[in-house]
Amino acid sequence: MTLRELIDRHRVVIAAGSGGVGKTTVAASVALWGALGGRRTVVITIDPARRLADSLGLEILGAGERAITLDGLAATPGSPRGSLVALMLDQKGAWDALVERHAPAEARPRILANPFYQHLSQSFAGSHEYMAIEQLCVLVESGRYDLIVVDTPPTRHALDFLEAPRRIGDFLDRKIIRWFLRPYFSAGWSALRAMNRTAGFLLRRLEQATGVSALAEISDFFSSMSELFENFQGRVDRAHEVLRGKETAFVLVSGPEEQVLGDAEYLSTKMAELRMPLKGVVLNRVHREFRPRGGRGLGGDVLGPEDAEQVAQVVARAMGGSGRDARELAENFLDYQALARGESLRIEQFRVGLPRGVPVVQVPNFARDIHDLATLAAMHPYLFGSGRAAA
Amino acid sequence: MPPSLLQRRLHFIVGKGGVGKTTVAAALALLLARRGRRTLAIEMDAVGRLPTLLGGRGVGYVPTEVAPGLHVLSIDGRAALEEYLGLIIPVKRLLSTVFSSKLYQYFVAAAPGLKELMTVGKIWYEATREEAGDLRWDAIVVDAPATGHSLQYLRMPQAAREAFGAGLVQREATKITGLLRDRRTTAIHLVTLAEEMPVTETLETRTQLVETLGLPLGFVIVNRVHRRRFSPGVLERLHATATAPAAERALLACVTERATEENGWASINETYLGRLRAGIGDAPLVELPFLFVEEFDRSCVEQLARQLEAGVAAEAGSAARGSERGGP
Repeated sequence: MTLRELIDRHRVVIAAGSGGVGKTTVAASVALWGALGGRRTVVITIDPARRLADSLGLEILGAGERAITLDGLAATPGSPRGSLVALMLDQKGAWDALVERHAPAEARPRILANPFYQHLSQSFAGSHEYMAIEQLCVLVESGRYDLIVVDTPPTRHALDFLEAPRRIGDFLDRKIIRWFLRPYFSAGWSALRAMNRTAGFLLRRLEQATGVSALAEISDFFSSMSELFENFQGRVDRAHEVLRGKETAFVLVSGPEEQVLGDAEYLSTKMAELRMPLKGVVLNRVHREFRPRGGRGLGGDVLGPEDAEQVAQVVARAMGGSGRDARELAENFLDYQALARGESLRIEQFRVGLPRGVPVVQVPNFARDIHDLATLAAMHPYLFGSGRAAA
Repeated sequence: MPPSLLQRRLHFIVGKGGVGKTTVAAALALLLARRGRRTLAIEMDAVGRLPTLLGGRGVGYVPTEVAPGLHVLSIDGRAALEEYLGLIIPVKRLLSTVFSSKLYQYFVAAAPGLKELMTVGKIWYEATREEAGDLRWDAIVVDAPATGHSLQYLRMPQAAREAFGAGLVQREATKITGLLRDRRTTAIHLVTLAEEMPVTETLETRTQLVETLGLPLGFVIVNRVHRRRFSPGVLERLHATATAPAAERALLACVTERATEENGWASINETYLGRLRAGIGDAPLVELPFLFVEEFDRSCVEQLARQLEAGVAAEAGSAARGSERGGP
């Protein structure tokens, strides 16, 4: 299967990978491809609004859906023109909305001000990721889109995204929460303390460490939110269903650097373990290697540093003039050859470890900023084998 | 006047994912150790590439010497918390009961930033640790996680002071905040690339570090700068080589393409270096060159350490000239 077929056959495409590999750009380009192919497309990001907005040529992207004008770009001949909507997830807003929906009105202000709630909604590992998935489920269920592209958050370990439902599920485990709802908990744990000497000792130490109020706040939070948490497992199951569904394709985005490829390899293994199989790979910002086809003493199929003199001579002969320019040009060329050589060796190795039949495409390292629809469309020939027809 | 940046004891290396923080942290640690300072390089909350780049193997939660005068340490938040609790609860048997209890697991996951606080706390501990009446380390270099997470860590002591109204954690948090904000001791260095998104993010991070967190800034280090330029005249002459023998034409076309590519990067870098300088005012900025290598290894770190040293010296020189000109 090609990446093109992969995107055409799936409704949900999730771009995963470590930070700094150009995930946002790839996600936006894939979404643009879908829209130009006639599909009603939405791209979701939880990155700071600016990045996706930049790559889509928008001034700014706020919370909520935002339609992108496709003027000036041609659709595939014969297909109806689709549409493209960009959506920025506001995770604090999404949590607050959950509170609005599930907590009794009189408890809301107290919950929103609760430091424990603020921690959970803003910085609990996995909570951003979880909310992105929650948002994805809502969009899938709405039936308003033919293609949903998700740009996953820039976590150091993209794995956080995949594990978010499980982690938050464990975290909000009903049995534990019930335990926290017991009255002795909010009473400063004194009852528990009396029950068991070891536990009492531990709790006294914990209280000394954190102050009594922290424990009371945790308890208060859970009792106010109990209704929400009662239903939580169902939502987590639903999220897994969407992530593991036949309509969903995970596409791994990586760069050619050693560390980044190492992370990608790890991620692909983990995906298999989590039964969220990897279906495509985009290697972004790859340097291309020049391979001579024999001739004029430039034999062999590899050009390396030892050929510097020879390359310089060829350049000098062609250009005439001072040899200095020629030497500098040759040096620059061979520098890029070295980069490309290292990358292609690493990429070869990386491909060996991938599951069979997973399409791998390479996008070159464009020496330009990508910040409008035309430059996003310029990635299409590399991603999909050809561009949509010209205007 | 606080001591010059390299003289400070505690260095944090902060930046967006993929800009080369770990490499810069390794280069700085190497540079400081070479200057005869007993140096500790710290990796936060992950086993990453820092030890490997510095030539270490099997580095863990105890400082390991990887070169003369240079130690490496990986901090894991959970281990830091356990170590800390070990100090409060000195009974081993009790301690293991605590760690295996579900309540404890839960508490670690839930308590606002406890794990982050303990990680920063461990750094504080190393930064203030004494041996025979002397500080154990002359310099500590911390390879921090990607910007968002770094800010979370650096914000944590302050947040903990607010979240825990009283108690031990609050007192610890106050001490740590004091150290982080002390410009005699600490410098937060920002690593970036001279490209659009990293520069924008760096400027925003800078504002947050200074205005919201009140932390002392160090160098802005611009990594992977392309500097070569090929004049239009040279490229035109190359273009005109269509008359070359067929076998060479493909090669010449590629030589032209790479020269154009290099020009493209050099021009992007120049634009965003300009934007960066305009945004940071007279803050010290150091450029590190893009390294064209097949494989990035320890020798590259050595090369960057030398470049960093030269860059810092040049920066200090130009700052001195600047203050002479601008002085009374």
